[in-house]
Amino acid sequence: MKPVLHITWEYPPYVVGSLSMELRNTLVPLAQQVPVNLVVRADSDETAEIDGMKIFKVSQSIKSSPHVLAYAHVLNIDLVRGASRAIYESGGASLVHCHDWISSLAGVYISSNFCLPLVISVYSTELARSRSLSTLLSMGIFDLEKHCLRRADVVVADMSLAESLSKDYGVDPGRIFPRGGDLLKVYNRWAMR
Amino acid sequence: MKVLMISWEYPPYIVGGLGRHVFHISKSLVQKDIDVTILTFTDGSSPSQEEVNGVHVVRINPYSLRYPDFISWSHGLNMLMVEAASAIDDFDLIHVHDWLTAYAGIALKHIKRKPLVATIHSTELGRRGSLRNDYERHIHELEWWLTYEAWNVICCSNYMLREVSGNMSCPREKMSVITNGYEGGSMGPPAPLVRKNYAQNGEKLVLYVGRLVYEKGPHILLEAASKLKHLDLKYLIVGDGSMRPYLVDLSKRLGISERVYFLGHVTDSELATFYNWSSAAVFPSLYEPFGIVALEAMGAGIPVVVSATGGLDEIVQDGYNGLKFMPGSSDSLTYQLNRVITDKALSDWLVGNARQSVEKYSWDSAASETEAVYHKVLDQYEKSSWKPAV
Repeated sequence: MKPVLHITWEYPPYVVGSLSMELRNTLVPLAQQVPVNLVVRADSDETAEIDGMKIFKVSQSIKSSPHVLAYAHVLNIDLVRGASRAIYESGGASLVHCHDWISSLAGVYISSNFCLPLVISVYSTELARSRSLSTLLSMGIFDLEKHCLRRADVVVADMSLAESLSKDYGVDPGRIFPRGGDLLKVYNRWAMR
Repeated sequence: MKVLMISWEYPPYIVGGLGRHVFHISKSLVQKDIDVTILTFTDGSSPSQEEVNGVHVVRINPYSLRYPDFISWSHGLNMLMVEAASAIDDFDLIHVHDWLTAYAGIALKHIKRKPLVATIHSTELGRRGSLRNDYERHIHELEWWLTYEAWNVICCSNYMLREVSGNMSCPREKMSVITNGYEGGSMGPPAPLVRKNYAQNGEKLVLYVGRLVYEKGPHILLEAASKLKHLDLKYLIVGDGSMRPYLVDLSKRLGISERVYFLGHVTDSELATFYNWSSAAVFPSLYEPFGIVALEAMGAGIPVVVSATGGLDEIVQDGYNGLKFMPGSSDSLTYQLNRVITDKALSDWLVGNARQSVEKYSWDSAASETEAVYHKVLDQYEKSSWKPAV
C-alpha cells in the first residue's frame, strides 16, 4: 500500500488543544501497520522520520490574518505545499486523511487534483462550538466545514455528532465512521492500491 | 504552450485596469499560438465556460458559501478555483494577476508542480500608504508570498519594479517590466449623446476617468476646478467608488456643483463620445502603477494633464506629449490645466506628439515580451529537478 497521507495543523511538539496528543496516540500504532506520511505546520520546511512516520513540516508563510477563517485558508496553502511534496517524494499516496476543519481544505485540494479518496476526522463542529451561527464569521466557518465534509468519502466522528453531521451538514449517515474505531478497516476499504 | 491565467477580473466583470489588461493580453497571446485558459470570477450572470477571441474562459461563482468580509470572499473564490483546476486540461505554466488570485496560483503551482508567473498591477502598501491593520497586512503578505513563489514577476512600469523590488525584497533578476498596451478604436463608435446636456456652446469640457478612490486623487481635480471658476469649464467625472459621496459634498462646498457631472460607470461607446467632446483629460493620481486611461486619452486626441507619479510620469514627457503637475498639488494642477485650456497652439502640439507616443504601446508587443518571459521560465523549469513525479 502507498502511504496514507495525514494532514493536520497540530502534532507534538506543536500543541494547541487536545488534538495534537490524541493524534499521536492514534498515528504511532497505526504507522506500525500501514505506511504513514504526516503533513504538519511547523517553523520551517523540512522532512523528518519520527515514530515510524515520515513527517513533512511546512512553515507558515503568512503571519497576519484578520480572523481564523482567513488564517485557515492561507494555512492550507502551506499544507498543500507539504502534501504535494509528500506525494511527489514518496511516489504517491493511497488516501488522504485530514484532521479538524482547519486543515481539511488541503485534503479537498489534494483529493480532487490527485483523484484520491478523502477521509476527514471531525473533533468538533462550528455549530457545537458556537451553539448558533450568530455572526457572519461563524456562518463562513460552518459553510467551509460543510463544503469540505460533502467532499469526504468517509467522515470519522464521535457518534454524538452523527445526528448533527447528517442533519445540519448533509453527511450521509452511511459515510460516518465512529471515532476510536479501527481505521484500518476504512483504509482497507478505500485506499488506492 | 498552454497557459493557465488566473484573474479575478475579466469582462464583463471589470473593476479597474486589471480586467482590461487581462482581456487584451490573453487575446494577443492567443494570436501568437499560445493556448490560454482564464480562470476568473462570475456572479452568475456570465457563462461558466465560453470561448472569447480564442481564449478559453472558465468562470467560478463563489456565492455557494457565505463570507464575513472581502478577504474571505476572495479566499472562497480561490478555494473553488483550485478545485475547478482539476478539470482543466494540463497546462505548462500558471500566470496570476495580483494578490486576489495569488492563493489559487500558489496552491496550483505546488499541486501541479508547474512554474508560476505573477503580474503585480499595484500593491497594498502603494494603495494605502501604510499597513494599519491585519486586513492590510494580510493582503501585503499575500502579495509578498506571490512574488516569492513566482519564477518571474512582471511589473507594468519601472516605478512598479522599484516598488515591488523594494517593498517585497523581490530579486531584480527575476523581474521584468512589460508596459500595458493601447488599442486604438477599441471603444467602438461613439454613443449618440447630446453635448448640450452637459455644456453650452462656448463651454469646454474637462474629463476625468478612474475609480473614485483617494489614491486616484479626484479631490485634487475638484480643488483645482474651484480655482478655475473664471473659465467656462464643465467637468465630466467618469467612474465610481467609495469616495463619491464625499466628492459630491466637496463640489458643493467648493461652489462648483453646477459644473461637475458625476457620471458613474459608462459604456465604452459613451466614453468614446466624452473623449471626442473634451478639451483636456486630467489624471490626478497620488498612486498610479501605470495609467492605461492616460494612453486612451492620448490616443483619442485630447491633451492630458497628469500628476508626475508612477507610470504616468514615465508615459508623459512634460510639455511634449502632455503636461505634468506635482502630485497632490491643486495649485500645480490649476496652473497646468489653465495653460492647456487657454493655449490652443500648446494643446495641438501636445495632441500631435501624444498620438505618436502611444504607438509604441501595443498589446502585440506586450504579448511578445510576455511570451519571452514564458519561454525563459520554461527553460529554467526544464533544467530544474522540480517536476511532478507521479
